[in-house]
Amino acid sequence: MNRRSFLTASATSLACSTRPRLNVYNWSTYIDPAMLELFEHERGIRIRYGTYESNEEMLAKAITGNSGWDVVFPTHSRLDPMARNGLLAKLDHRRLPSLGNLDPRFQKPVWDPHLEWAVPYMWNATGIAYNRTQVEQPRTWNALWSPALKGRLTMLDDPEDVIGACLQKLRFPFDSTDPTQLQAARAEAISQKRLLRAYLNAEVRDQLVAGDVLAAQLWSTTTAQAMRADPKIAFAYPEEGYPLYCDCAAVLRESSRYELALEFLDFLLQPKVATANAKAADTATANAASGPRDPVLYPPNDIYQRGIWPEALPANAQRYRDRLWTEIKSA
Amino acid sequence: MKPLKLYAALALAFLHAPLLVLIAFSFNAGRFTVWEGFSLHWYQAAFADTQLAEGLINSLIIAIVAAPLSTVIGTLAAYGMWRRQAPVLAGTLYLSLVTPEIVTGVSLLALFQWLFRFLRLPLGLHTVIVAHVAFSIAYVAIVISARLRDYDRALEEAAMDLGASGWRAFTRVTLPVIAPAIAAAALLSLVVSFDDYVITSLVAGVDSETLPMVIYAMARRGVSPIVNAVSALIVVAFGVLILISQRLREK
Amino acid sequence: MNLRRLCLLPARVWTALFIAAPLAIVCAYSLLTRGDYGGVEQPWTLENFTRLADPLYLAILWRSLVIATLSTALCALLGFPLALFIARAGRHKNLLLQLLLLPFWTSFLVRTYAWLFILRDTGLINTILHTHLQLLYNDGAVLLGLVYNFLPFFVLPMYATLEKLDPALLEAAADLGAKPFATLWRVIIPISAPGIAAGSVLVFIPCLGAYLTPDLLGGGKTVMLGNLVQNQFTTARDWPFGSAASLLLMLASALLLAALMRSRAAKELM
Repeated sequence: MNRRSFLTASATSLACSTRPRLNVYNWSTYIDPAMLELFEHERGIRIRYGTYESNEEMLAKAITGNSGWDVVFPTHSRLDPMARNGLLAKLDHRRLPSLGNLDPRFQKPVWDPHLEWAVPYMWNATGIAYNRTQVEQPRTWNALWSPALKGRLTMLDDPEDVIGACLQKLRFPFDSTDPTQLQAARAEAISQKRLLRAYLNAEVRDQLVAGDVLAAQLWSTTTAQAMRADPKIAFAYPEEGYPLYCDCAAVLRESSRYELALEFLDFLLQPKVATANAKAADTATANAASGPRDPVLYPPNDIYQRGIWPEALPANAQRYRDRLWTEIKSA
Repeated sequence: MKPLKLYAALALAFLHAPLLVLIAFSFNAGRFTVWEGFSLHWYQAAFADTQLAEGLINSLIIAIVAAPLSTVIGTLAAYGMWRRQAPVLAGTLYLSLVTPEIVTGVSLLALFQWLFRFLRLPLGLHTVIVAHVAFSIAYVAIVISARLRDYDRALEEAAMDLGASGWRAFTRVTLPVIAPAIAAAALLSLVVSFDDYVITSLVAGVDSETLPMVIYAMARRGVSPIVNAVSALIVVAFGVLILISQRLREK
Repeated sequence: MNLRRLCLLPARVWTALFIAAPLAIVCAYSLLTRGDYGGVEQPWTLENFTRLADPLYLAILWRSLVIATLSTALCALLGFPLALFIARAGRHKNLLLQLLLLPFWTSFLVRTYAWLFILRDTGLINTILHTHLQLLYNDGAVLLGLVYNFLPFFVLPMYATLEKLDPALLEAAADLGAKPFATLWRVIIPISAPGIAAGSVLVFIPCLGAYLTPDLLGGGKTVMLGNLVQNQFTTARDWPFGSAASLLLMLASALLLAALMRSRAAKELM
């Protein structure tokens, strides 16, 4: 950064030790920095912005109870456990007048029908990213077991997504806790391994663009980014169903800046802010529509109905799945 | 020793190969690792990024405080253990080496959480520094111990026979002899501290994001050439520092 | 307080507070039960350890031991000549050391991504050689990554020991008619045993607990102990089991360390 902006920044920060400050902990590249500046400018509140890569990273800090963060963005399935463990502060709707800006689908979400704990922020889905010139459009998860793709296909490095996809391929429920079904899913995953190139997350984007990988289980947002770089990448939502994830803005109970936090949450709900953030993050916003929407990020209604919002599993079901995952990976 | 020289050159080339790749792609106009033309805009983006600047400053502060501290503590410890065995300390140091980073991080986090109930301090640069010193001491001690193992006790004894106190014997006789090892240990400690991600990310507080944390966040979402630009800048900066210190030394 | 005690004091205090105490916490965790969302709760149990005595986890331990040993051996083979060269480079010593470490000022993750680029199907090597080798996502790539990242950890202590190698010893050996290889084997290597031991320790142990390298360069297809531990503390949110697994990892490393120390001590007595 150039010297002048550095000096200005330090002078301002010294002068502004009297301005109130809010500590926001979010996923990386999940906001438009211009919007943060806008908030600081409009409301006179300084924002300290930190980022994390996974829910667990955020949770490890939140559990300590003195992490210093005020606002966090857990994925929807973590909200209930966090609330039950007393980590979150209840939202006072009187301070959130813009809640009406949410898309109707997110006004009474299945994980938090009264929006007591968090405000839906961004959402995405897991599906199949593929190279349209070399692979015909996948219709079901089965496409990722095609021998023709040997060595050129990847799955996500995430037990929930992989085991879930195997379960859905067998037409079992995504959230299944039935051991027989789970064992069948495990067998599917292991049989896939000899075709599998690797278990990769966002890093597969580069390989799709370069042509090393022809099909991948991938999130809609990462695929949208790849598509912008290379139009021959496409995205398919499997017919058996697919998981949906929503990251929501919540306030930590340990925070001593409750009112400021809610001001920020309300700010995020403003239409132009939500649109700017969604554009910068390449994700779908939970706010109501304003303008044309990319069908990759915002699937049409009939496809949307096939999606499922995974819930947090009870501890022993989680343990069972975790062992399966270790078995799959070591096979 | 011609073959040895050739080998060393090849080995160093191997170590630097990924760097060259990074640097080459920092000039790539495109985002992904497919060449799309020459461009400097990633460098502009790197300079404009305040998060990067802060991360760099924090990393430097931490390394500059933690490395000397751990070098001193580690060297003294190695010396003390060399004089006469200290099995408990040696055992603890080995244990710290043997612990996986995530375990160190999580357990330190738990310790701080417990301590701070009484002390009312949040996580911050101080907790990161404490953690870095803790895990670096073992590295320093190992390097210095290896060196001391072949150091002749008689030198110090001779000095003391000539009237020097134990401390003077140490500082005037032993230290100069093992100075290169201390320098190597300090360098190791610096690098280990500067590059650490797992432990730092767990015990860092709100204002203490380090450079690896910023870079990881950028890189995890898929390779971003800003990261390449930053890495290239770091390498060039340190390269220049090295050249300067070499020049100074040769004077 | 005598000088020795004084020297040991700072280390003792720091390690007691920030190494021993946290480790005690890990031991306590390994005997507790998984909380709903990370964290631990009562009851106390030995279950985490009995879970470990399972062929699945023991196979993982074995694989980790093999890979770590191979990496250490490769680091030793590749690092020894390099350390020797630097130690005898006279006034260029420091410059070479800095050059050795220069790539390591960049982030570990970034260096690994650079290797991904070099080794990919459409990466640098395959483009230059016009081939389609799958160099990535296998054990070889993992080894390469480990050796690459831990080579300096071997070279530095090796150098520290070698730099005080008296050239007169080598001259004496040559005068007595020893060929260069014999000098190496009979003179240099025995003298540098402490450096080799230190370097091996600094490489073997992190390799045993490595997780990012097998994940990124191995494509997540193999699970090493480090991956298991990492997974338990993150995705699986089972801190007690993760603690038990890391105690296993630490035990394996500590045993090897002890064996190494004992054999070196035996050598010293000879």
